[in-house]
Amino acid sequence: MPSFFKSKKRKARKRNNQHSQPPEFCQVIHPSLADQLDYIRNKTGSSTDIVIRKASFDEKLGIRTAIVYVEGISDKKTINDFLIESIIKNRELHEKHPKRDPFDILLDEVVALGDVAVHHQWDSIFQSLMAGDTVILIDGFSKALSASTRGGEQRSIEEPGSQVTVRGPRDGFTESIGTNIALIRRRIQNPDLWNEMMKIGTVTKTDVAIVYIKGIAKDEIVDEIRSRLKRIEIDSILESGYIEQLTEEHVLTTFPTYYHTERPDMVAGNLLEGRVAIIVNGTPFVLIAPALFIQFFQSVEDYYGRADIATALRFLRILIFFISIIAPASYIAGTTFHQEMIPTRLLIAIAAQRETVPFPAFVEALIMEVAFEILREAGVRMPRAVGSAISIVGALVIGQAAVQAGIVSPAMVIVVAITAIANFATPSFTVAISARLIRFAFMLAAATFGFYGIILGLVMLTVHLTSLRSFGVPYLAPIAPVIPSNIGDTLVRMPMWAQKKRPKLVASDRNETRVGDNQKPKPDESRGMKRTSEKNGGQT
Amino acid sequence: MKWIHRCLIPAACSLLLSGCWSQKELNDLAIISAMGIDLKEGGGYTATLQIINPANVAGGLQGGGAGTNAPPVSIYTAEGDNIVATNRQATQKLPRIRYYAHTNLLVVSEELARKEGIELILDAIERDAEFRMTSVLVIAQGTTAGELVKVLTPVDKIPANKVIKNLRFAEQQRGEHVTMNVQDIIKDLTAEGKEPVIAGFIIEGDPKEGVALENTHQTEPPARIGLGSLGLFREGKLVDWAEGSAARGTVWILDKLKGTNISIDWEDKQDAVVYEVIRQNTKVTAKLKQGKPAINIQVQAEGNIGETRVQLQLDDPKVLLKLEKAFEKEIEAELITAVEQAQKAKSDVFGFGESIHRSYPEEWKKLKAEWHDAQFPELKVDVTVEAFIRRTGLRNNPHKRN
Repeated sequence: MPSFFKSKKRKARKRNNQHSQPPEFCQVIHPSLADQLDYIRNKTGSSTDIVIRKASFDEKLGIRTAIVYVEGISDKKTINDFLIESIIKNRELHEKHPKRDPFDILLDEVVALGDVAVHHQWDSIFQSLMAGDTVILIDGFSKALSASTRGGEQRSIEEPGSQVTVRGPRDGFTESIGTNIALIRRRIQNPDLWNEMMKIGTVTKTDVAIVYIKGIAKDEIVDEIRSRLKRIEIDSILESGYIEQLTEEHVLTTFPTYYHTERPDMVAGNLLEGRVAIIVNGTPFVLIAPALFIQFFQSVEDYYGRADIATALRFLRILIFFISIIAPASYIAGTTFHQEMIPTRLLIAIAAQRETVPFPAFVEALIMEVAFEILREAGVRMPRAVGSAISIVGALVIGQAAVQAGIVSPAMVIVVAITAIANFATPSFTVAISARLIRFAFMLAAATFGFYGIILGLVMLTVHLTSLRSFGVPYLAPIAPVIPSNIGDTLVRMPMWAQKKRPKLVASDRNETRVGDNQKPKPDESRGMKRTSEKNGGQT
Repeated sequence: MKWIHRCLIPAACSLLLSGCWSQKELNDLAIISAMGIDLKEGGGYTATLQIINPANVAGGLQGGGAGTNAPPVSIYTAEGDNIVATNRQATQKLPRIRYYAHTNLLVVSEELARKEGIELILDAIERDAEFRMTSVLVIAQGTTAGELVKVLTPVDKIPANKVIKNLRFAEQQRGEHVTMNVQDIIKDLTAEGKEPVIAGFIIEGDPKEGVALENTHQTEPPARIGLGSLGLFREGKLVDWAEGSAARGTVWILDKLKGTNISIDWEDKQDAVVYEVIRQNTKVTAKLKQGKPAINIQVQAEGNIGETRVQLQLDDPKVLLKLEKAFEKEIEAELITAVEQAQKAKSDVFGFGESIHRSYPEEWKKLKAEWHDAQFPELKVDVTVEAFIRRTGLRNNPHKRN
C-alpha cells in the first residue's frame, strides 16, 4: 500500500514539471510582417477559420498591415466597416502627421472601435484572437494591436428551461458571459456591482467572472472564492460544474454547496443577499456561493407572490423532500417490521396485494425504484421523437403488467409514483438528485432495522448536514446555528417589510439592513381622519 | 483523526451484521382478527383464532382474489393448560406466524366468565407485547366463544369488525351497552369498589349454518351475531345479565350514555311520546348520613321530541314542562331498576364504593371488608333527574288527525 501511494506522488510531481515549462509562444514578436504571419499560420496549423487580410496603409511609405481574425466568433460587419474600410480609406494620414509613429496613428485615428489593446507578446495576441478580437499587425513593429470585435452567432436570450415560474421575468442566461453579466447589470444598476474576470483552463482559456456587490458581499468570502479559483490548474472548463467540483469544500457528500441557476433575477436576488456569483463562459448555469441548505427549498416565485402562500409552499417543499427520501423506506419498514402501526383495514388491503408477490418488500421496492430510475434516465436521454414511447412502455410495464403479473403490489406502485412526483416537485434539481441517491440508503436501513433504521438514518443525515460548510458558512444556517434575524426566510417566508436584515453569516456586517423602518403597509390616512376630527370636536 | 475513521468503518459495517432483526414479511403473517377463549372439559382452555384471509377481504382484481368464493376468515382451534400454551399449540396447524397486534376482539364464553372469571386470562393478554390493550372484550352469551367467532357476517366481512362496530354504534344510539377494552376492564377489576360491565353477544339462528359461506349469501342469514345483554361482574366473575331499561340505567349511571330514546305514556296511551336524548351528564356523589353511606345520582339530560302518537300542543311551554317532568320520572325509574338489579346481584358495577372511597377514605377502610355482601346491597341511593327538551324536531304540533 504505501509504495503505491509514493509512486503516485512521484508521477504527479513529474507532471507538474512538464507543466511549468515555459510555453512556446511566449516569444517576442518579430518585426517582419511576413515572419509574423508565418508564425501565426504555423501556430494555428493554417486553420481555415483564421482569416488574414493584408492591406497597405499609406501607399507612399508602403507600410503594410495585416488584419487577422477568427471567423465565426468575431463580428464580420464591424471588422469590415470599422477596420478594413478605415485602413484602406485613410491612406494620407501619415502625410498629415509625418512625425508620428504609424502605429500610434493607427491606434489613435484609424481604428474606430472601443476596446483596443497593444500587445507585445504572442500569447496575449493569441488569447485575444481566440476570444474573437481582431489583431492588426504592422510591418516593422514588434507589437500588435487588437480591437474588440467579439460577436458571431449566439443563442438569443430565452426563457430558462430548468427553473420555470408562473410569475417573474422570462429571460434566462445564455452561453455568452458578456450577455450574462449584462443581464445582471440591467437588474442592479449600481457602480458597486463589481466583476472580476479571469481565464481558467490551460487549453480552453475559459473566461470566468466573479460577480458581487461591493459593500454587501463579505470581503473574506470574495477573497476565498478568488483564491480558490486561482488555485485551479486544469486543461479545460467546459461548464460551471467543473468549477464547482474543483472548489467545493466537501467532496464526500451528495449535497451541493453551490447553488446554480439559469435565472438572472435569482442571481440578482442572491447578490443582494451578499452572495457571490461565478459566471463561466459557455454555459448558462451561473454558480452562487455560499449556498445554504434552505436555499434549495426556495424559489424566486416565493418572493414575487404573497408571503402566506410562499410559506405554505415552503412547508410543502420540506414535506416533499422527506417524502422523496423516506416514502419507500417507510413502506418497507411498515410492511416488514411494524405491521402493528398500520391501521387494520389498510394492513389487510396491503396484505391482500402482497399475497401473490414473490419477493420480500425490500426487494420489491428495490425493483420498482430501480425500474423507475431507468425509466426516468431513459426519458431524459432519449431523442425527443421517440419520447412518447417511454411513457407508454413505462405506464404499461410498471403500472399495469407488473401488477397484473403479481410481481409487484399496487400499493408499491403508488409509493413509487408518489416518491417520483415528490422528487420532481423539489425546486432544486441538485437536491432532488441527492435525495434520489439517499433514498436507497434509507431503504436499506429500513430493511435492516425498520423505523428504527429510518430514524437512525435521519439522525445521521442531520449530523452530516450540520457538518457541512459552504465557504465557511454552516450549511444549515440560519436554523443551526439559529440566527433569529434571518429565520424569517427559512421554513416561513415573512413579508418583505418584516425581513429587515440580510443573511448574517453571508452578507457583510457593515451593510445589513435591507428594508427601512415602518414599511408595513397601513390603511389610508383618510380613514383615520374621521376619528381625529371627532376628537377635536370633543375638545372644542 | 485517521484512526477514528479506521475504527468507524468496521463499526458501521457491524450494524448490518445483525441482519434483518425481527423482520416479518407481510405474507408470512397470520393476522388474527379475533380470539375466542372457552373452557376445555377437564381443565385448560380452548382458543379459537379467527385469521384473516386478506385476499378474500380486499376483493378487487388482486391476487386471484375471487373475493366471494372463499371465506374472508379461517378458524384455527388449539387447546392447552394456559393461554400461552394454547396459543403456541395453534402453530401445529398454522402455516404462518401468529400476529396478535391486530386482534381487536376477544371473546370469552359465558361459562368461562361465570366459573373461572376473566382475571386469569387478562394477565396473559396484558403481558404480551403484541396484544393491544385496546382490544374489545365481549362475552359469548348463551353460547361458546368458539361458536361466536366462527359465524360469518355479511356487510362487514370480517366478523371481528362487525362485532366491534355493532357494539360501538349501538352504544352511541341505544345506550344499553358499553364498549369495554382490555385496559378498561383491568382498571375496573383492580379498582377498589368497582366492578366491570361487559357486553354480551348472542347468536341468533343455527350456529352450525354460520360457518358456511352461504351464510353471507342470503338476504337474511340463517345465523346472525347480535348484541345480547349487559354482563354484571363480581370479583372478576360474571354474575348476572342486565337487560333493557336496567342495562340502560346502568350505562346512564356510568355516565357513558351518548344517546338513546325514552318513551312515556300520555293520557292513557302507552309509549305515546318519544324523547331522544342527545347529551347527558351524570354525577355520582357519596354522602354519609348518620354514619351510613348514601349515594346521590344527579342526571342532566338534554334531548328532542322524536315522535308523538297523541295530539299535543308542543308550541306551548307549559306542555313541554309537563313532558319534561314525565321524562324525568321515566329516567329516574330506569336508574332505580338498574341499581336494584345490581344490588340484588351484589355487584357494584357503578363504582359507588369507589366514590365513597374517594370522599371518605377513613370510613371506606371499615366498609371495605363487607362492601359487596352487606353494604352495597343495602346502600341508599337517591336519584334526581333534570330533563330538558331542546327542540321538538322539524315540527311543532303534530298534524291534525280527524
